[in-house]
Amino acid sequence: MATTAPRSAQRTWLWGALLALPTAWMVAFFVSSMVIVVLLSFGRTTNDGFPVFATSTASYEALWNEVYLELFLRSLAYALATVAISVLIAYPVAYAIALHGGRYKNALIAAVVVPFFASYLIRMYAWKALLSDDGLVNSGLGRAGIGAVTFLNTPYAVVGGLVYGFVVFMILPVYASLERLDVSLVEAGKDLYHGPVRTFVHVTLPATRAGLYGGILLVFLPALGDFVSAQLLGGASTYMMGNLVQQQFMEGQNWPLGSALTVGMMLALTVLMVVYLRATSTRAREA
Amino acid sequence: MTPSPGLGLPRPSRRGLLTGGLALGASLALPGCAYLRDDAPADAPLPPSAKAQVDGDLVYFNWADYLAPAVVKGFSEEYGVEVIESNYDSMEGMYAKLAAGNQYDIVFPIAKWVVKLKREGKLRSIDPAQLTNADQVFYSGSYFNHPWYDDGSEVSVPFTVYKTGIGWRTDKVSSMTGSWRDLWNDEARGRVFTLDDQDEALAMAALILGYDVNTADPGELADIKDLLISQKEYLRAYSSDDINNMLGGDAWVHHMWSGDFLYLQRGLADDPAMFAFEAPSEGTPINSDAYAIPANARHPGTAMVFIDYLLRPENAVRNMKYLFYPFPVKDALPAFAELTQDAPACQVDVADLENENVYRLLDTEEVQRRAAVWTEVKAS
Repeated sequence: MATTAPRSAQRTWLWGALLALPTAWMVAFFVSSMVIVVLLSFGRTTNDGFPVFATSTASYEALWNEVYLELFLRSLAYALATVAISVLIAYPVAYAIALHGGRYKNALIAAVVVPFFASYLIRMYAWKALLSDDGLVNSGLGRAGIGAVTFLNTPYAVVGGLVYGFVVFMILPVYASLERLDVSLVEAGKDLYHGPVRTFVHVTLPATRAGLYGGILLVFLPALGDFVSAQLLGGASTYMMGNLVQQQFMEGQNWPLGSALTVGMMLALTVLMVVYLRATSTRAREA
Repeated sequence: MTPSPGLGLPRPSRRGLLTGGLALGASLALPGCAYLRDDAPADAPLPPSAKAQVDGDLVYFNWADYLAPAVVKGFSEEYGVEVIESNYDSMEGMYAKLAAGNQYDIVFPIAKWVVKLKREGKLRSIDPAQLTNADQVFYSGSYFNHPWYDDGSEVSVPFTVYKTGIGWRTDKVSSMTGSWRDLWNDEARGRVFTLDDQDEALAMAALILGYDVNTADPGELADIKDLLISQKEYLRAYSSDDINNMLGGDAWVHHMWSGDFLYLQRGLADDPAMFAFEAPSEGTPINSDAYAIPANARHPGTAMVFIDYLLRPENAVRNMKYLFYPFPVKDALPAFAELTQDAPACQVDVADLENENVYRLLDTEEVQRRAAVWTEVKAS
């Protein structure tokens, strides 16, 4: 005789089944690759170039090198600049679309997102062609009577590339939180505080904090590890952590060192994230 | 007159095209487990040569865009086989896929990778007697009867040869001296580019200092590091996208590959006289690519037919006019001489081949020591 399970148990079973597939996927492809990286960071390279697992801490000892620290600080500075510029660009864009987009809202958001369907790499190459000394932008500036500007191969170009690459990850969460914003709150704020600036600071901004904090993380993390922007738009002194790690896996023939650098960076980022999340959650609670 | 910049992007140099990282995840991650193993078989006996007979479609594994599409299509039509193309973006990526057991019928390794693949028994013998056009590259007295990377040409057939030198803008710079020191040129200060390539950058400095291009001696590497760091105030960037850097006007003096220079000058520039190329007097690194058939190829016969087809002088000429990299195919040499008439330094002759400035396969420890120096130079 078939017994029917209580409804709630049935539901739990269903949710469990639904969760199983993504969990298996994450374990197979995400966790396992992390584990390989961690194991490999204790590995060594055979004489003919094969990375093999071992129990060597040589790669970690090699991390104590001031060059790496300098690169980390440089990458950190670029990533923070990227975040700051992204906030300045993303907030007004998201605000304009969410509150003044009207029936074009979805079309405008699509217009923001669609360019990001093209490969990041291709878009970086396009910037290179546009910004080169004899490129379209500079020939336009020349015709306008403004002298040529050296855009490429500067730290500004690298940060510009990073902003262009990741700003959409700031626009979307901020847009989402502005969308949910109760307009009557703003109206009330206007009555209470008089003036749009004070209303913005005291009502709108606190209400969209969660989106902003999320966007900051989504932009900061990929920007810190990026190597494409520095490689294509950077100059002789804009080498970043991402470039360093990539070099170890390719020309450097040193997967263990590349892995140790990756693990070291993950640890440093974890510390930064914990500090950040604690600070922002306290702020969010206060708000 | 300016070179045409605009949005009509030229085909980037196969090495300038930075795809490494993006594809790296895909190409190295999955075969990861197969790649991590304890011992590599060394000096395995070579699998025998296949007969040059079509035995199926051709599974072709090359750099993107590194043969004229019309030539590849011509093969497909003439022999009624399909060409199934995959691309790699670095020798490391190519190697990782082969090591993971992926099956391809033909690959195009750079010289030192031929050494590595041959040593590990990953390549099949190629018997020149099977190739009707073998005489085009293996004629009596040809360097390629005994190339440094594959004595007796047992597993490889030469594809292209090229050198590394310096390209410059004749309308901007007038004080070139024919030395690698021109990469420290004052007129071009801030507009000098060095190739973003460990071997090439270290070799350039080694040649100035009179060291071997493959040096891994700690003292010599320290000198090389100091020399390269002294170049930084002249440099605009490290980049292997030599064609675009020159074409976009960003570079006035560029450490570059001869084939890329010819493509720039003959294939892209409005005014070829605006660009010139020199092979510095301290010596120039010579590199070459080869055709090779992996030991586990499923259609080695078709691959043999394909190699024979590529060796036909008319096909070599068509490829050369597309790639601008010289092919050491005897009856195609006059056509190459024509291509290099404005840049004779791009010619690669026997004396160039016989010099010792080739990138050899080094031990891991040596590679890592060199990599550490290159990292410090770039990071400083």
